[in-house]
Amino acid sequence: MGKEECKTMLDALNKVTACYRHLVIALGSTSDSQNLREELKKTRKKAQELAVANRTKLTTLLKDKSISKDDRVEYERLWVLFSSSMELLEVDMKRSLELGQDFPLKVPTRHLIQTGMTGATTTVAARAMSVQNMKYDADANIDTADLKDLETEIVQVGQMREEMEMKVQVAPWAVEAKQEAGAELKSTVSVGNSSVGVISICEEEPKDGEEGESGIMKIFAGIIFAVVLLIAGILGYLVINLS
Amino acid sequence: MTIRNVHDCGQRHRPRVACLKKVEALVLEMQDPTSGVKSQTQRLVITTIPHALTGEDVVAWIAKRFNVDAAEGCAIGTMMVAFGYIYPLRDHKRLILKSDASLYRFQTPYFWPAQQWPVEDTDYAIYLAKRNIRKNGVLELHEQEQYNNLHKWLNHKWDFIVMQAKEQYRAGKERKKPDRVVFDCQERAYWVVHRPPPGSVSAMDLGLLRLIDPNQEESETSDYFRRIIIFTEQCIMRPRVKSSVSLGANPWLTDDPAYWDLNSLTIDNPTRMRVERWTFSFGELLSDPRGRDGFRLFLKKEFSSENLAFWEACEAVKWGTASTIHEKAQQIYKTFLARGAPRWINIDGKTMEVTVRGLKHPHRYVLDAAQTHIYMLMKKDKYGRYLKSPVYMDYQRRATDPEAHNFTETQLAQNAKNRRPSLSPIILRQQEEEQQAKLEASGPVDLTQVMSKLDKRNMLKEGQK
Repeated sequence: MGKEECKTMLDALNKVTACYRHLVIALGSTSDSQNLREELKKTRKKAQELAVANRTKLTTLLKDKSISKDDRVEYERLWVLFSSSMELLEVDMKRSLELGQDFPLKVPTRHLIQTGMTGATTTVAARAMSVQNMKYDADANIDTADLKDLETEIVQVGQMREEMEMKVQVAPWAVEAKQEAGAELKSTVSVGNSSVGVISICEEEPKDGEEGESGIMKIFAGIIFAVVLLIAGILGYLVINLS
Repeated sequence: MTIRNVHDCGQRHRPRVACLKKVEALVLEMQDPTSGVKSQTQRLVITTIPHALTGEDVVAWIAKRFNVDAAEGCAIGTMMVAFGYIYPLRDHKRLILKSDASLYRFQTPYFWPAQQWPVEDTDYAIYLAKRNIRKNGVLELHEQEQYNNLHKWLNHKWDFIVMQAKEQYRAGKERKKPDRVVFDCQERAYWVVHRPPPGSVSAMDLGLLRLIDPNQEESETSDYFRRIIIFTEQCIMRPRVKSSVSLGANPWLTDDPAYWDLNSLTIDNPTRMRVERWTFSFGELLSDPRGRDGFRLFLKKEFSSENLAFWEACEAVKWGTASTIHEKAQQIYKTFLARGAPRWINIDGKTMEVTVRGLKHPHRYVLDAAQTHIYMLMKKDKYGRYLKSPVYMDYQRRATDPEAHNFTETQLAQNAKNRRPSLSPIILRQQEEEQQAKLEASGPVDLTQVMSKLDKRNMLKEGQK
């Protein structure tokens, strides 16, 4: 059905936007490198492909006058999701242009900001591109060469957004969200992997409270302790009875 | 789609923010591996993170670079921290540079305060949602309030915000542990600068908007010099009297609400400056509600309180809503102006004639002539007597002299924590109206009523006889 396809495509666009933001945040810092610039380029291209696909799909769906009212409300909601994603993407692209211009990689007298981030962003980019490993095959001066492409792409995205706002008559403030406050807590409880409450951020988080995943561990530990006490009590009783 | 404010009006050009470009150049200088600031590693429980700076190193570097003393270097460093170029690793809510061994780190360029990238509420909502996930629903008080507020106002985008928050959270988990820690610190520091928790002073209070870009180079034409000359002439013309009277603890610096309490409308003992102000002119006395209360008390003793009541009723007509003018004017006529009215005021025949004629078609300023007459009457006669009366002498005696503050550092921090918003103006207005109603209900003491009561009593006595 059209709705399901739309939703999966929107999810993909959402994922790529989030990863792109993570990559742009690393620009100019010590984790910046030629690889990062290439990752940015690839992620951007993917985002644009997804954006165009989403747009064509949604415009055809919304232009269709024969859909029911509920369907129309749903499509308007998806449209608001799409346009908010595009907005974030456009801002991030403009910022990456500015940061890319301010922090060229080949100039030896211009130093990258020592932010404490030293790792690579390969995994984030791999997540964005939905591949297992990233392959790097660009030239050595991608940081300057890419900027012109970036400028044209920003213009394209700007034009696309203007077109969207003109052609599709959707009032974004009339859309009602399906999620209520606190909805983000519901499906992310399982995402804890290594943070079992031992490591804390910046050494003052222990006062603020432990990680959520350790709450479950605490209950578990409490149950085991109670069981052990019970067994100890029973054994003691038996010992007293026998002697 | 974000509804953008079309009238940008040079939003980007704000007074204090011209310094951002200079601070950025300074931060870049600090990165030099040979001549920049020395960096150390921060040791957490298991991970170590490089590129941490100590406060004293930063202060020493700044002092050497600009050839200033350590206190000035500390001030410049605090400015950098307040703008968000460097953030503290401990005590992250207090944006100051301490010149001891406390650790700081540089902020990534994406999170630098830049003039042309406005701080979006959507981004803040996404950040709060991510924090909600991380803290498993336990946000700080001000964060929770902001979250609820944003949920209400950005409701149409809320699905997007939740989806994006989850995706950003998962994408963040893809990085290695030390980088994750650094990223969380960076984001938190960014939002401490741009959405400060209550009780902290924000460097982002940017003041009034400007219409020109302070960073732009201006060509020195004759028009430029003409403007500079006008500006300096105006500066010279301004009065430069500085007052050394103590007004009490400055509430903006010490977070102490005593100043507001001392100068409120319902206080019993007004401050000396306020009491003295009533002697400047009759207008000053009438414009201060507390002054009017005192004057009303005095007039009550002299049995001429109807004058002030009439004046206040005329003010109510002038400043009230248009729909109530007719009703109020009729009420005033019945109470003050008609023959045999309970609180009859003493105005001359001509003014009375003009007023009564005007009341046939009442408008906002119909009672202006009568009001002016009564005002001049009170000013010439009663005002002088009031200033010599025991009522006023009593005020002068009871007037308070507020002292300057002597709070310690800890007390100041405590005051900052206890900052709460004052009563809403709606509640204050309701209290005012209740007081007024009480005043009217307690009944005016006017001669005609008193005389009529005395008459009735006499008649009863005679009747009994």
